[in-house]
Amino acid sequence: MAGIAGTVTRVAGVLLTAFFFGLTFEGFGRKIAARIQKRYGPPWYQNFIDVFKTLTKHGWTHGWIFDFGVLMALGGVIATLSFVPLGNLVAFPGLDNFFVIAYLFTVGALGMAMGMVGTGNPWASIGVARALTLMLGYEVPYLIVITALMFYYKTGNISDIIVAQAQSGGWNIVKFPIGALVALISLQGMLGKEPFEAPIAPAEIASGPMVELSAKYMGLLMLMNTFMEFVEISLFVDFFLGGGTYFVFLLKYFIVWTFAVMVSTVLPRFRIEQAVSFYWTVPILLAFLQAFFVVNGWVF
Amino acid sequence: MQSLILYLGIGALVGYFLSKINKHLGPIVLFVLSIYALYVVWQMPTGTNEALFGFGDVLRFTALSKYLSIISLIVFASFGFFNIAWISKAKRPAAFNALSILTLLGTLGVFFSSHFIVLYIFWEIAVLASLFIVPMGKEESKKATVWYIVISSIGTYLFLYGIFMLYSKYSTFDIFEIGKYIQNETVGFKWAVVLLLLAAGIAKSGIFPLHVWLRNVHGNAPDTFSAVLSGQLVKMGSYLIALVLSVFPIANMFAEFYNGVNILSYVLIWLGNISILIGTLMAIKQNDMKMLIAYSTVANGGYILIGLATLHQVGYAGGLFHIINHALAATMIFLSFAAVVYRTGTTKIDELGGLIHRMPVTFVTYLVGIISLAGIPPTSGFISKWMIFQSLVSKGMFVTEMFVFIGSIGSFLYVFRPLAGVFLGQLKNKDKNVKEAPGVMQIPMIILTALTVLWGVFPQQVLVWITDVQKEFGMKSFEFEGTVLKTSMGYWDTWTVFVMFAVGFTIAAVIYILMPKGKKIPLEDQYTSGEFLHNYDLYHYATKFYVFLEREYEGHPSFEDWYLAIVNAMKGIGKFIDYLARRTASAYLFWTAVVLALIMWVRW
Amino acid sequence: MAQIDERSVWEKIADQLRSRSMWMLHYCTGCGAVELPPSMTSRFDMERLGMGPMATPRQADIFLITGYLSAKTLRRVIYTYEKMADPKYVIGFGSCTINGGIYYDSYSTINRLDYYIPVDLYIAGCMPRPEAILNAFNTLMKMIRKGEANGWKRYKENYEWYKQNQLRSLKEVIIHDEFHE
Repeated sequence: MAGIAGTVTRVAGVLLTAFFFGLTFEGFGRKIAARIQKRYGPPWYQNFIDVFKTLTKHGWTHGWIFDFGVLMALGGVIATLSFVPLGNLVAFPGLDNFFVIAYLFTVGALGMAMGMVGTGNPWASIGVARALTLMLGYEVPYLIVITALMFYYKTGNISDIIVAQAQSGGWNIVKFPIGALVALISLQGMLGKEPFEAPIAPAEIASGPMVELSAKYMGLLMLMNTFMEFVEISLFVDFFLGGGTYFVFLLKYFIVWTFAVMVSTVLPRFRIEQAVSFYWTVPILLAFLQAFFVVNGWVF
Repeated sequence: MQSLILYLGIGALVGYFLSKINKHLGPIVLFVLSIYALYVVWQMPTGTNEALFGFGDVLRFTALSKYLSIISLIVFASFGFFNIAWISKAKRPAAFNALSILTLLGTLGVFFSSHFIVLYIFWEIAVLASLFIVPMGKEESKKATVWYIVISSIGTYLFLYGIFMLYSKYSTFDIFEIGKYIQNETVGFKWAVVLLLLAAGIAKSGIFPLHVWLRNVHGNAPDTFSAVLSGQLVKMGSYLIALVLSVFPIANMFAEFYNGVNILSYVLIWLGNISILIGTLMAIKQNDMKMLIAYSTVANGGYILIGLATLHQVGYAGGLFHIINHALAATMIFLSFAAVVYRTGTTKIDELGGLIHRMPVTFVTYLVGIISLAGIPPTSGFISKWMIFQSLVSKGMFVTEMFVFIGSIGSFLYVFRPLAGVFLGQLKNKDKNVKEAPGVMQIPMIILTALTVLWGVFPQQVLVWITDVQKEFGMKSFEFEGTVLKTSMGYWDTWTVFVMFAVGFTIAAVIYILMPKGKKIPLEDQYTSGEFLHNYDLYHYATKFYVFLEREYEGHPSFEDWYLAIVNAMKGIGKFIDYLARRTASAYLFWTAVVLALIMWVRW
Repeated sequence: MAQIDERSVWEKIADQLRSRSMWMLHYCTGCGAVELPPSMTSRFDMERLGMGPMATPRQADIFLITGYLSAKTLRRVIYTYEKMADPKYVIGFGSCTINGGIYYDSYSTINRLDYYIPVDLYIAGCMPRPEAILNAFNTLMKMIRKGEANGWKRYKENYEWYKQNQLRSLKEVIIHDEFHE
């Protein structure tokens, strides 16, 4: 029974960390973006107020597929989050295989896509078509770099890679610099931040997938977005910055998040075909270069 | 086994005559025979040899036969049950029923035979029986049938040539015997024989370069038979590839090329790569929903070939698992499309829309089918993809991995297109009175859905069949313990993943229930940027869904055009010879000149 | 006159939250819209009050009617207002919404917004400067916290009266033929 109690505690710890720190760091991100634009910005707890405010409104539903899609989206992302190691805090030790996490992620994405298109609004369909096309762009170089890492360390478990980094004393960002660069570029696409913000595109396609969301559905989707960002950045920190104890991990997370926000504040938005052609030329070549180096053993 | 084949043959005749009386009786015969065969095959112990109609020792029941027969019989049982209601829309029901039973006979014969000529005979029975069903579909299916028979024949005659090359060397047709001798031949002979034998499998699975027939044939065949074509007949090709790769000691026959992969496997893996690329990119463009999934069959055939060709403990098991996943998923998807066409009469995506509000069970079947096809947990589709990924990573084959990832992510794109265009979105005015598919059609769809999810959470039964196949061929078998799947590079537990799903869903549901309820609004109540619309038929995004992506690869070469160019060249040669044989002055002059020149040359 | 505060505890907490995170709909009708960019950008930063622009009416809380409203625009405004989720607040910018402003004698603009959709707050001026706008937002926040911003409740209770006014002026809100109205 201690096993089950321990697991439940750890899972609760992971989820609460993602909820509390995810929303807090988003608030910090808004402040940083505001300072870059020479203004003050909202208080750091603004995102909490936003989420809770949306949950109290009285909205509309477009049918059972809309409800089910939103629940599947949030449920899928919570399931994914419970497997991701936050540095040393691992809810299910040994079961954090990278491919499982990457594909569990797509459950959340599919649920959201299905629910949004189920409203019957074509803006949502356009946004989802763009989001899927962008996914075809950023996933391929990212997966090649991560599999190069997995081939080098001969394991698919993320915790093992964290431990290997601690043992060899160097972070992977130093040993695989090209790979880390490709992963950062893909991360910008995964987070849906400029310059890869075409799927959301607030004024162009009326928020894309989120056009018909009101009230609690919007709140649930904001939570899902926060958790998704948490998973994506945690994976980057685990793979390339060596995980670490709880607060060290959160510090590294904050640094990566600040970097992403700063890049997104100053860049405009690519068109979707420009984004996909970009991803299929430069990052894929760099990813293959990294794989070539790994196969020949040329790492720092 | 011999009795099964006999019963199926009699069943075909019985089905034909019963269908003449009442067309719904034919599929009942097929369904009953499939269930009986499934029971027999499940019980039969592997390794039994039998004679066929007096010819000794030509049938053998290996573990591979058992696995693939079970898959085929599940597909045929669902097909049979579904047809009980669908057959009222078939053009020639009696012939349809009889020929589908004959297709089953041919397929099971292929799986049971251990003698090359017997295998060839049953292969041709299956091909010819399906050949006569395909033109019973739409108008374009008649041209499609010609593609089918030509490319199938290319594969089959190369296969026959390979068989006779082996016979002239060893004077035996027994498949398992030849595997022992072939090690000591010259390299050229080994390459020639193996490639010739694999040609039939490649043609039937729809792998590049013999993939051009799949789109037209699967897209235009009668709707439920597309499920059999895509879910079961291409698996016959995969069976042949699996058989050749495991019976012949490929790893010893050919030199090693890259990190433990021998050069023949590497060539096959590259054929698989190109098939995945072609299948995925072409599927994204299609507007007809059946042709879209037909291209997905090309891509998935590529996955199976890559998995089988790695000849690796995990990869080979992954390839075999993918066979059953794709069979179930393709059957579910095509049966749901058959239900949609049964009610609405069209297969073009931009003429449909919003059907979830009228046909929810069909929608759920399609949804679980595409979740499995795209390889998303907790369905069984993810397990086979995970195994293939792990084996490729452990060998460090990065270029293949790129193609495999493109195929996997591209599959989200193309399966989402019918979901958004046909089932979701605005309901067209002409479809406002469409009803759900009849109950008889819903039952096989629901059962297949349940099977996919069941084997996704508890894959032990399928893994037992697969590891039996691997052990029988002397390969190291895949390791698993309960619901935990293990490889040398990591492991995971299917049951934990499913439990965490349920937990996540529950947490989301709790928040959902506690908060104020949303009011239900009809489909016409949308954000339209403040404009007033009165015809919501046009407010549906389905035409040219991915046009921004398609523009990136617009100028691609078309293999259908290359084949047609060869056809035109043949026609040109034929015309020239025809010209020379006519009774015209120029022809007479030509031949006179040729004969005189010959006489001159011989004489002097 | 002080009203009796009949909100439950949850409603009071919810109102505190709503006042600190207001999303305005990006729908600016008349010439007053030009005063919004200065309010949003660095000098008079609106985001520190928690306000931000939102693209669709489904998620927006505040509807700003910035200036005159012709009959054509009024139809769209009513249509959009009904698409917003409760609770929602309307702010009328400028004199045109109060008494018609400089277009008081035009044949195609309305003179008083309050007859057609319920207004919580008016801002006087032609155009009100960003300082006035921020003052108005502060007032609105205090009104919400005290429970006085009840335009959405008034609309639901007096729906017949509002509908009557709308149809008398417009003849048809969801119009079928724009050019022969």
